[in-house]
Amino acid sequence: MQIEQLQIFEIDNPHQVSSVEVGQHFYWQIGNLQVHAQVLITSWVVIALLIALPVVATRNLQTIPTGLQNFIEYVLEFIRDLTRTQMGEEEYRPWVPFIGTMFLSIFVSNWSGALLPWRVIQLPHGELAAPTNDINTTVALALLTSVAYFYAGLHKRGFSYFGKYIQPTPVLLPINILEDFTKPLSLSFRLFGNILADELVVAVLVSLVPLIVPVPMMLLGLFTSAIQALISATLAAAYIGESMEGHH
Amino acid sequence: MNTLWAIPAIAEEAEEKGKIFDFNLTLPIIVAEFLLLMLALDNLWFKPVAKVMDERDEAIRQKLMGVRDNSDEIKKLQEQAEAILKAARAETTAELNKMRRETAASLDAKLQESRQRVEKELAEALANLESQKEETLRSLDKQVQELSDQIVAKVIPF
Repeated sequence: MQIEQLQIFEIDNPHQVSSVEVGQHFYWQIGNLQVHAQVLITSWVVIALLIALPVVATRNLQTIPTGLQNFIEYVLEFIRDLTRTQMGEEEYRPWVPFIGTMFLSIFVSNWSGALLPWRVIQLPHGELAAPTNDINTTVALALLTSVAYFYAGLHKRGFSYFGKYIQPTPVLLPINILEDFTKPLSLSFRLFGNILADELVVAVLVSLVPLIVPVPMMLLGLFTSAIQALISATLAAAYIGESMEGHH
Repeated sequence: MNTLWAIPAIAEEAEEKGKIFDFNLTLPIIVAEFLLLMLALDNLWFKPVAKVMDERDEAIRQKLMGVRDNSDEIKKLQEQAEAILKAARAETTAELNKMRRETAASLDAKLQESRQRVEKELAEALANLESQKEETLRSLDKQVQELSDQIVAKVIPF
C-alpha cells in the first residue's frame, strides 16, 4: 500500500490528504504468470538474515557458551520445548526443524516488516513491507502445515488415520471434514489479518500524526506479531501432534 | 463526497490488479523457499547446536556419575584412616599401661626391699638393745650383790 504525503498548500481535495492504497503490488512476469516481487524481495532478505545468524554464531562452538552461541542455544531450546509440549517426548524430535523454521521465518518476517526501514527503497509500484502481509505467504505456510499434519498422521498410523474422521461419533463426520478446511483457513487469515491490519493502522497513524502517536501502536505491533509467530508455530505443532496421537 | 469521486480515478491508475486476495505464482515460490530454508536451518543451526547441547548434557551426566564413585572411595579411605588411628591409639595406651605397670612393680619391689632392710636393722637394733639390757642387768646384779655384801660386812661387825 502506498501513502501519499503532500504539502499543505497542494491539497485541493480532502481525499489527497491521506490516501491509503491497499493491495498495490510490484509485479514481475515469469512466463505467463505473475509474482508479487515485493514479497519475494523481502522474503529473500529474511532468509539471508536467518542463514547469516547461525553461520556467524556456530563458528566457534564451545562447551561453555557465551554471547551469540548462548542466544542461538536458547532459541533452539525454546523451539524444542514448544514442539515437545505439543507432540510429546517420543515423537517431537523429527519435527523440530519444521516447527522451528515456521516460528523463525514468521517471527523474523514480521519484525523485519516493522523494524527495517523498507521505505528507503522505492519501488515503481507498491512498496516493501513484511512478506507475511501478503495472502500468498500466509496461505503457503498454512498449506504447508496442512500437508505436514496429513503426512504425520498417514506416516504414523497408515490408513487408519482416516478413522479419526468418525471419532468420537460418526455424526461428527461433516464437521471433521470441515475442520480440514477451516484449519488452514484460520491459520492463514489469522496471520495475514494481524500483520496487514497492524501495518495499515501504523500507516494511517503516521500519515496523520507522524511524531509520537504511532509509537505505542508500533510497539503493540511488535508484541502482537511476535505472538502471532508463536501461535502459528504452536498450532502447527498441535495439529501435527493431534494427528499423530489420534483421538482416545 | 469528494472521496467518492476519487475512487474511479484510483481505479484507472491501478490497471494492474491491485487486490488484496491476489493469488499467483508467489505461493508455490514461497513454499519452495520455506522448504529450502528448513533444510538450510536444520543443517546450519539445529543439528550443530543440538549436538553441542547434547554432548554437554552427556558430559555433565558422566561427571556426576564420576563424582558419586569418588565419594565411595573417599569414604573407604576415611574408614581406613580411622582404623589406623584407632590401632595407633590402642597401641600407645597399651604401651603406656605396660610402662605404668612395670614402673609400679619396680617401685613396689624397691619399697619392699627398703622396708625389709629397715625392719632388719630395727630388729638388729632391738636385739642389740636387749642384749645390752641383759648385760646391764647382769652387771647391775653383780654390783648389787657386791654392794649388799659390803653393807652386810659393814653392819655386822665381828
